[in-house]
Amino acid sequence: MTEETSELYERRLGRYQAAIALEPTDRVPIAPGSNYFAEVYSGNTNQETLYDPAKWLEAEMAFVRAFPETDVLRNNRLWGPQLDAIGLRTYRLPGRDLPPRDQFQFVEREYMMADEYDALIADPLAFMFECWLPRVLGEYETPGSARSYLAFLKSGMAQGMFAQIMRNRSVQLQEVCGMPQPMTGAFVAPFDVLADTMRGLTGAIMDCFRQPDAVVAACDRLVEEMANFALSTADPLKRYPIFVPTHKACFLSPDQFERFYWPSFKKVLEILIGAGYTVRAYLEGDWGPHWHHMLELPKGTVVCDIDNQGDIFKAKKDIGHHQCLAGGIQDSEFILGTPESIRRRVRELCEVVGDGGGFIVGGGCNIPYTTKPENYRAMIDAVLEYGVCAADVSPRPKATSGAVTVAAFDYPKRATPWERKREELGGSVPGDEDLIRGPWEQLEAMAYAWLWQWTM
Amino acid sequence: MSNETFEGMHPLTEALRDLDEAAVKCLVEREVEAGTPVMEVVGHLNGGMVAVGRLFAEDEYFISQLIYSAEIFRGAMARLEPLLAGSDPSEGGGTVIIGTVKGDIHDIGKNIVVTLLQGAGFDVVDAGVNVPAERFVEIVRETGARVVGLSALLNFTYPEMKKVVDTFVEAGLRGEVHIIVGGSPVNEQVREYAGADSYAEDAVSGVDVCREIYG
Repeated sequence: MTEETSELYERRLGRYQAAIALEPTDRVPIAPGSNYFAEVYSGNTNQETLYDPAKWLEAEMAFVRAFPETDVLRNNRLWGPQLDAIGLRTYRLPGRDLPPRDQFQFVEREYMMADEYDALIADPLAFMFECWLPRVLGEYETPGSARSYLAFLKSGMAQGMFAQIMRNRSVQLQEVCGMPQPMTGAFVAPFDVLADTMRGLTGAIMDCFRQPDAVVAACDRLVEEMANFALSTADPLKRYPIFVPTHKACFLSPDQFERFYWPSFKKVLEILIGAGYTVRAYLEGDWGPHWHHMLELPKGTVVCDIDNQGDIFKAKKDIGHHQCLAGGIQDSEFILGTPESIRRRVRELCEVVGDGGGFIVGGGCNIPYTTKPENYRAMIDAVLEYGVCAADVSPRPKATSGAVTVAAFDYPKRATPWERKREELGGSVPGDEDLIRGPWEQLEAMAYAWLWQWTM
Repeated sequence: MSNETFEGMHPLTEALRDLDEAAVKCLVEREVEAGTPVMEVVGHLNGGMVAVGRLFAEDEYFISQLIYSAEIFRGAMARLEPLLAGSDPSEGGGTVIIGTVKGDIHDIGKNIVVTLLQGAGFDVVDAGVNVPAERFVEIVRETGARVVGLSALLNFTYPEMKKVVDTFVEAGLRGEVHIIVGGSPVNEQVREYAGADSYAEDAVSGVDVCREIYG
């Protein structure tokens, strides 16, 4: 990495981290989380983004050259071949199921039945293998078949390949473009596990009315699983926030949110924050009735992305003194608006929401695919004009703390702990136990995390 | 059909308004056993759905309550349907066509609107998801519906909404239909771009627009 690129990387990351921590920095960061526009700006199709990592990377590098003032580029993504290997049913993909330029789409179904809460709560792993995975993974539809074994094998291999792709991508973006990531690692709130990929929204809502205690117990049971998955996929250096899209909170009444959504979600957040991480939460839909709960978490630990339906000016009043806010520009403005209307909006955002720091400019949880380039440019120019806060500050990344420690449970989770394996080996091994134990535990932890990714 | 008496709301209407699923089930059964005309029972249920919509508009209820009320209503209607034999539960409330536009397969929002419309006494044609512009026109031709609702979750569908409106223009039917757009990325700016007649901010306001059209 050249000195110049290294300096650029440090400034961008420092600026981003300062905004998250509500500390003064030189200007408002241009750090949208899901920059879909960047993926297709070069003319790539959405199929190429999902199936051709080299083209995806080239596309984003072209984007950085065109809009070098952008501070971060996204890293959380799907890789088509990995989904094909296992036959994941929760997504329809461009090029495979949809026209190549269409957006990937989530398919919500009832993959867990209303009477299966006890099974989930009693033993999540057994529930996964016996009930849920055969329904949600097409290639595992007939457990025990040759095809099902091969599917797991292929998917495990694909996981390794995907990890390599993402590592390469992150290194290239950092070393060639000086570009940090907006987030690394992900999870969903326990209630969203139920309402997205298990029961579906309607099922989960019915359960809140018909069997509320089961819903609460299941959410509690999923706390460790989600915290484990988040930490397993997070940046080991803790530079970047962990990502959580909150899908279904916006459908709940405040009472329901407080009973079903928040307690388990808060526990996961506390575990991650306790382990030294920050979190970037997409508050999807209108979180106005719920976002005051973010005051219960330590200051400057959760970036709250305000969606199109949310009022970011109200969010500023309610929680902006305690957590960083991101967003402020409607999807429709990027797609249908004019540079002048974007400029007016960004000015207002910088002056009001940016006042005192803790503001990241962007769209409502995304920059749309069909954004007009001149509108994205207008956003940048307006930030440079109105978003300069402390020009004398030279942003620098924060020192990151050491190993991940979790008090709440034995992290990382494994299906077969080393102790059991050692017993099976006769209670001891004649050679160096650590040489065997280390890789055993690492592979166990990776396989365990692999299982839970299908709930995302 | 009146749902309110001098004593107040009919117990069935009230039970549905209060989301008391067990009571709704029991009261429907009781009405059936008592030989109450089925259309009268449907009327009480419609009243309940209207009351739920009112509570939503007043911020007393949230979307979860709309979804639950829709499920209770569907359950009750499933019990009554075999008894309807020839009578039309929509009772001339008017026909509304609704669908998620081409390119988008999401249906949560659309489905809520469908049930609320049915609950309000409309005859609903649910065109499903990923619906091409021409299909909306075809259904209008087939049914003579005066209202078309376009739903979407994904923001790249704005041009598709415009295409639906333009297709009605080309078909010479634009003056015959009132086109409503709704869904999470939709707002007044999108309505204007698409050339639609109304933007519905939420499911209940969408039903209100239909009421205004059909008077």
